[in-house]
Amino acid sequence: MPDCAVPDALNTVGKKHPIDNQIANLRKAHGLTQAALADAVGVTRQTIIAIEQNRYSPSLETAFRIAREFSRTVDEVFDWTET
Amino acid sequence: MPFHEKSAWIMTTALLGTSGMYFAVIVSLSNKLGQLAPPLLPLIVIYTVALIVIAVVGHLLIALFSPKDANAPLDERERLIHQRAGHWSGLVIGAGVIFSLALYLFTYNGHLLFYAVFASLIVSTIVEYACQIVLYRTR
Repeated sequence: MPDCAVPDALNTVGKKHPIDNQIANLRKAHGLTQAALADAVGVTRQTIIAIEQNRYSPSLETAFRIAREFSRTVDEVFDWTET
Repeated sequence: MPFHEKSAWIMTTALLGTSGMYFAVIVSLSNKLGQLAPPLLPLIVIYTVALIVIAVVGHLLIALFSPKDANAPLDERERLIHQRAGHWSGLVIGAGVIFSLALYLFTYNGHLLFYAVFASLIVSTIVEYACQIVLYRTR
């Protein structure tokens, strides 16, 4: 039975995620809380937590919003390793 | 805990409580009658009203504690969670309806068909909210 018909941006628990990110480090460097970043980007705090913990891959739009908050490019915030 | 997860907890609890009571009454009635009790409109009305009241009061309470979250739309991750939960719920109700139809073909009991379809609807809704809770906590 297929897991789901929707895109698998919700990562499977225990499965290594190909997209890594520097959000937690950048957020701390900028003195931002998860809630403040979530408000600035337009998602919930839980979604920021999920992205930081590599449990969820954000949409391209959210990735750009996050990068913009840190005045970085998407490439500097997110890293993709082909598996 | 996000507002929509709290909402899922409220609906799961409300559905389990009201449905449990509804089917307990049906079993009790059936035991007294010595056969499967027919579906009773007043009982369904009481069940529906009780479910609505619990849902409304529950949501009012959680909205009072977090009014900002209550008005916020689902974000992209939450939308995926709801889509996935809806997918599983759809599979459950589909299987439930097929099972109910097969049950009718073997028994020709209309009352049993009603309860089987009604139970499928309730179970699929509970599965939807339960999946949301699990996905909110693990993804």
